[in-house]
Amino acid sequence: MENAGYVITGWVLTGVALLGYAAEVARRTRRARRLIDD
Amino acid sequence: MTGSQDGTRLARVMGKGWLTPVLAVLTVGSLAILAVLGLWVAPPDALQGDAQRLMYVHVPVVMVAYLAFGVTTLASVLYLWKRTRHPQWDRLAAASAEIGVLTTALTLALGSLWGRPVWGVWWTWDARLVTTAVLLFLYLGYLALRRTISDPDVRARRSAFAALIAFVDVPIVHYSVEWWRSLHQESTLLPDGRLDPQIEGDMLIALLWGIGALLITYAYLLVQRYRLAALEEGFEGRALEAAIAERRAEADPEPATVGAS
Repeated sequence: MENAGYVITGWVLTGVALLGYAAEVARRTRRARRLIDD
Repeated sequence: MTGSQDGTRLARVMGKGWLTPVLAVLTVGSLAILAVLGLWVAPPDALQGDAQRLMYVHVPVVMVAYLAFGVTTLASVLYLWKRTRHPQWDRLAAASAEIGVLTTALTLALGSLWGRPVWGVWWTWDARLVTTAVLLFLYLGYLALRRTISDPDVRARRSAFAALIAFVDVPIVHYSVEWWRSLHQESTLLPDGRLDPQIEGDMLIALLWGIGALLITYAYLLVQRYRLAALEEGFEGRALEAAIAERRAEADPEPATVGAS
C-alpha cells in the first residue's frame, strides 16, 4: 500500500480518539455515580 | 436528578437500559466492517492511490461534526423558546457540542494526514481548512463558556445564544469550496448541492457504510454523554446545597465561640 503510514495513522487515530472519548465518558460517569451514592 | 428520573420523553428514551449494549455492539461491529471495506475491499483511487482511503473516515467524521452542531443548535433553540424550555435541552446541547468538537478536531487531523501525501503540505491557508479551524475554536469557546458560569439557568441561556452564533460557521465551512477558490475538492456525494456521487461501486458502498457507522457511533456517544450530564447536574445540585450550608454555618457561628473570642 502506498502512503501506508498516513493511511494507517489516520485510521488508528480515528479509533483511538473515539474509543478514548467513550472510555473517558464512562470513567466520569462511574465517578459521578460514586459521588452521588456517597 | 438523573435522566430517567426527570420524566420527559427525551430523558425516558436516553434512560432505556437496553440502549447502551445495543448501540455499543452496533458501533463496534459497524466500525470493524468499515475498516474491512475501507482498507481492503475498496480499490485504490486512480489519481490519489491508497491515500484516498482516508476519505472513508474523513467524510463521515465531518458529517457527524455538522450533525452534532446541528443538534446543539436545535436543542439551544428549544431551550430558549419559553414553551419548550427545559434543562434537558441544555444537557443535550452540551453533550452534542462536546462530540462535535472531538469530531471537528479529528476532521482537521485526518485532513492534514490526507493533505500531506496528496497536496504536499500538512496545512495550507485554504478557505475550507481555515473555516473548519474557526469552527473548532468557536465550539471550544462554547465549551469554555459553559465552565465559567455556575448558575445553571444563566449558563444554559448564555450558552444557547453562543451556540446559535457559532452555528453560522457550519454552512460557511460547507460552501467554502464553492464560494472561494479552494485547494480542497468539492463534495463527493453532493457536488453543487445535488445528490450525484462522484464515486461508484465498492468505493461508494464503503463511504455510505462509513457514514452509517459514524452516525451509530454518534448516537452511542450522545446517549452516554447525555446521561453523564444528567448525573453531573444532580451532583452539582448537592454540592451547591452543601456549600451554601457551609457558608451559613461560617456566617452564623455558635454563641459559645463568639463569647470566647
